[in-house]
Amino acid sequence: MEIPTSAVTEEARQRAEDAAISALVDQYAGALYRVAYSVLRNPSDAEDAVQEAFLRVLRHRHTLTEVRDHRVWLIRIVWNIALDRKRRVKTRPETDDGAELARVLPSKGLSAEELAAAAQHHARVLACVEQLPAKEREVLLLSAFEELTSVEIAAVLSITESSVRSRLFRARNLMAGMIDHERSLR
Amino acid sequence: MNSNPHNAMNSDCGEDTLRLIAGLPAPAGLEERVRKALQAAPRSGRVLAWPARFRAKSVMESNWMRAAAAAAIVFVVVGGGWGVYSRVQPGPAGKVIVMPQRMPSSGGFSGAGAIRTPQTIPGPKVREQATPTSKDRSSGAPAGNKGTREKGTQTAKKPAAPKKLATGQHPASAPTPQPAVSR
Repeated sequence: MEIPTSAVTEEARQRAEDAAISALVDQYAGALYRVAYSVLRNPSDAEDAVQEAFLRVLRHRHTLTEVRDHRVWLIRIVWNIALDRKRRVKTRPETDDGAELARVLPSKGLSAEELAAAAQHHARVLACVEQLPAKEREVLLLSAFEELTSVEIAAVLSITESSVRSRLFRARNLMAGMIDHERSLR
Repeated sequence: MNSNPHNAMNSDCGEDTLRLIAGLPAPAGLEERVRKALQAAPRSGRVLAWPARFRAKSVMESNWMRAAAAAAIVFVVVGGGWGVYSRVQPGPAGKVIVMPQRMPSSGGFSGAGAIRTPQTIPGPKVREQATPTSKDRSSGAPAGNKGTREKGTQTAKKPAAPKKLATGQHPASAPTPQPAVSR
């Protein structure tokens, strides 16, 4: 029996694509989860965003070979998905950041009181981050990922590198002012 | 990453908090769940697949056939549009009465687009009053316009000032001026 060549090539190609996507999942699922979590601050929403990102990759698997930097490309996809989801779920009541952080923070060598105080502080800082203008907030959030350089942040946000630096500078100044104001009120 | 993630109290701009969140570990089994979701997802794309009989043998051939199909669709759409356009006759033009444009008169006010403007430059003509006859003088002014006419004459003509009388003399007994008698 003769097997048509086109069927073999098609099957082989599909297998190669599956293997490539599986490798991407292994390599970048964790990083994408952290990016999504930093925006959404909800574990299940972040996981959904990661799944949706890989489903988009599957839909555009034919273009995988054209992508230069898979990591930046994937972060860009999940970033857009997370922002879109956040915009959609804004009507939902916001979760208590302090309680959520106390649950997810590593609690090694900390008493319950210290852990609660740290969680409260982080919640206050996150509330300040939420008050930042969108452009500055995005850059600040992405800059927290040490694996992302300013060039990569610029690629994710489709802006120039100098814009990244100036926005980051503004964001840091604004944050410092807000945190000082918070301290003075206490 | 920061060595002590809980030491964020000393941070100036809260970046330690963001780093802490960015460094949170992904939940266990995330990769497996994503892989399962990918397996459950439909494999076929949005582009319709060719029937088996016409299936192209290579990617290049497939692209060529797609381009040809797209060109055929464009040809049909454009041809149909041209057919409709060429059959439709333009309708008769609507009746439009063009109003003559009024030129503003030089040196004066414009008519502000008004069709009829009152004649204001010659001014209204006041009818000439009838001169009173000798009969009217004797009987006085007619009753209708007595007041007004009287008033007008009174304001126009100042009455002659009465002569100063001597003290204690009655005006009635005052001597009337006698006309000079010529001798």
